[in-house]
Amino acid sequence: MRTLAKLFARSPFAPLQRHMQDVSECVIRVKEIFKALEENDSKSVSRIAREISKFEAKADTTKNELRNHLPSGLFMPISKVALLEILSLQDDIADDCEDIGVLLTLKDLTLKDIFKDDFKNFLNKNFETYELIKEIIDEFDNLLETSFTGREAEKVRSMVNNVALKEHEADLSQRQLLKNIFSNEDHFTHGEFQLWLSVLREIRTLSNTSEKLAHRIRNLLDLE
Amino acid sequence: MSPETILIIIALCTSFYMAWNIGANDVANAMGTSVGSGALTLKQAILVAAIMEFAGAILVGSHVTNTVRKGIIDPVIFNSDPNSYIYGMIAALLAAGTWLNIASYKGWPVSTTHSIVGAILGFGILFSGFGAIHWNKVSQIAASWVVSPVLGGAISFSIFILLRRIIFDSKTPVESAKRMTPFLVFFVLGILTLVMVFKGLKNLHLDLSLSHALILAGLVGLLGALISMPLINKVKSSISESDDEFIDPKVEKSMQKVVMHLRRVKESITGELSDEITKVLNKSENISNRLEKYSHIKHISADYLTVEKIFVYLQIMSACFVAFAHGANDVANAIGPLAGVLYAIKYGVVGMQAQVPLLILLLGGLGIVVGLATWGWRVIETIGKYITELTPTRGFAAEFGAAITIVLASKLALPISTTHTLVGAVLGVGLARGLNSLNLRTIRDIVISWVITIPATAILTAAFYFVIKFLFS
Repeated sequence: MRTLAKLFARSPFAPLQRHMQDVSECVIRVKEIFKALEENDSKSVSRIAREISKFEAKADTTKNELRNHLPSGLFMPISKVALLEILSLQDDIADDCEDIGVLLTLKDLTLKDIFKDDFKNFLNKNFETYELIKEIIDEFDNLLETSFTGREAEKVRSMVNNVALKEHEADLSQRQLLKNIFSNEDHFTHGEFQLWLSVLREIRTLSNTSEKLAHRIRNLLDLE
Repeated sequence: MSPETILIIIALCTSFYMAWNIGANDVANAMGTSVGSGALTLKQAILVAAIMEFAGAILVGSHVTNTVRKGIIDPVIFNSDPNSYIYGMIAALLAAGTWLNIASYKGWPVSTTHSIVGAILGFGILFSGFGAIHWNKVSQIAASWVVSPVLGGAISFSIFILLRRIIFDSKTPVESAKRMTPFLVFFVLGILTLVMVFKGLKNLHLDLSLSHALILAGLVGLLGALISMPLINKVKSSISESDDEFIDPKVEKSMQKVVMHLRRVKESITGELSDEITKVLNKSENISNRLEKYSHIKHISADYLTVEKIFVYLQIMSACFVAFAHGANDVANAIGPLAGVLYAIKYGVVGMQAQVPLLILLLGGLGIVVGLATWGWRVIETIGKYITELTPTRGFAAEFGAAITIVLASKLALPISTTHTLVGAVLGVGLARGLNSLNLRTIRDIVISWVITIPATAILTAAFYFVIKFLFS
């Protein structure tokens, strides 16, 4: 006779946020790995790269758990499609982090003084973009409180704009960094040059995916 | 012992058992959320529930009891053979009780109301075919089983949307909640009092006319609202506490006005002045943005928590309302057949006009309270743990909607399932995007159990009827 208790299914938002937590662990380690790179500590670099892989696997587990435990007869305030899309974008960020880790272990890279500042600037802008989207994901509880409308939705919309803005800043800093690297191409070996470009591309994906995620959430607020 | 005495004892026992069952299982739906959110301790919840259930059973319980007793089967057919009526009603009680036991053992979402109605229906058809049934009334009842969850859902949906518009969408949720509270208290108490006193006090020989009842309800509501005002003012908005950098939302609003006016000024002037205005405008836009960002980001989450704190108290009231409504509607499932049996034994005929004796209502109420005290508390505890999703605002909306629906049905003498109405109300809140996930499979289960319960109890009743008849004649 506990009909009422049976009516309540497990919240899909808590696992979503937990997944983002795992993703954050990856991103934090990407920060660390570049610090280790700066200090030419190749041992730490490979250790941290392994750690990132571990956390990426953990994020995968959380993701699969959420997907598998989403029963068919569930009624949610946002569509299941939206939820799964958000989840998959979040997972892309974790994958991206793992790729960065792997790339850095392929060859001992050194952070040369000529582009160090530009690179750090570029890196930080990407991290900042990610931080902003993480905040938005953390806001889901409050969005639910107001059933995805009103002031709280306004707030999230403005946060999405901030993500887009940061992403643009990351764009600008990338242009500057690339200019720098290309003008100093003589300082790199061919392999190093290639590898750095790949690493940059992967870092760039961090903010790109963050922006995509932000816009997906914005769509959610406008459409539903 | 004469067979009559034995029959009376059996009838008393089975109906008490039904009442016990109702108290043990269903009261938890009303009180579970309040215990889960920590608004009431378990002891307080049981005490409050007991009082409200009892009041509901005694004050409003007789309407539905009459329907169960004589609304479904035409009593005229028993004029020549009142004994069959007695056996049948006892069989119905036994069948419904047995079926409920099986269902709770298997975990099916079966309703006590559906069981007893199915049982009585089965007996009536068995005794003298389809013609003996008041199909009018039965179709009304069946319709009410569909309408009541939908209506409960619709009311809860509207209440939740209203709360969202007024409280959560405002810039100062706590202030809005404080402003809303006296009104909500007024409505909950007013409606509760109205259903209590309007035709409710008949049993106590204190019948008030509608206008008197309305006036009394208004006064009680007003009194409650007045009492709530100073209490609610004690709740502090998280903004004004501790935070020295607090910016009054009024300041923010005024700043927005400044920006708006400056824009207008800028549009209508040209030349050197325009440059100056543009400068001022930019500056004030900056300030306005800063203020807005500040008050937006820092405080919203804390504010929502404070709103929930206020609603904890309102939810206690709505939970009481549900307990009252539940007592009013569900007590009939236990005592409706009993009232009929006792009357038939006493006077030798099946009563058409008789009032439901107060003593029987008391017995039903007592059964519910005993069930609550001996077993129901466990269920309250378990349910309280499960439905923490129902935060005070959502719980208030769901419970208020359900309670109004149930009380309305009770006044119309329609036996409906309180649990299913509450499920409908919770779905209403979910439809307003207020809950993060609901298991729709429950609805399917409810519909299935609905369809199975009626024939199952009908057949069980037939079996019990033959056994009892065999034993006593």
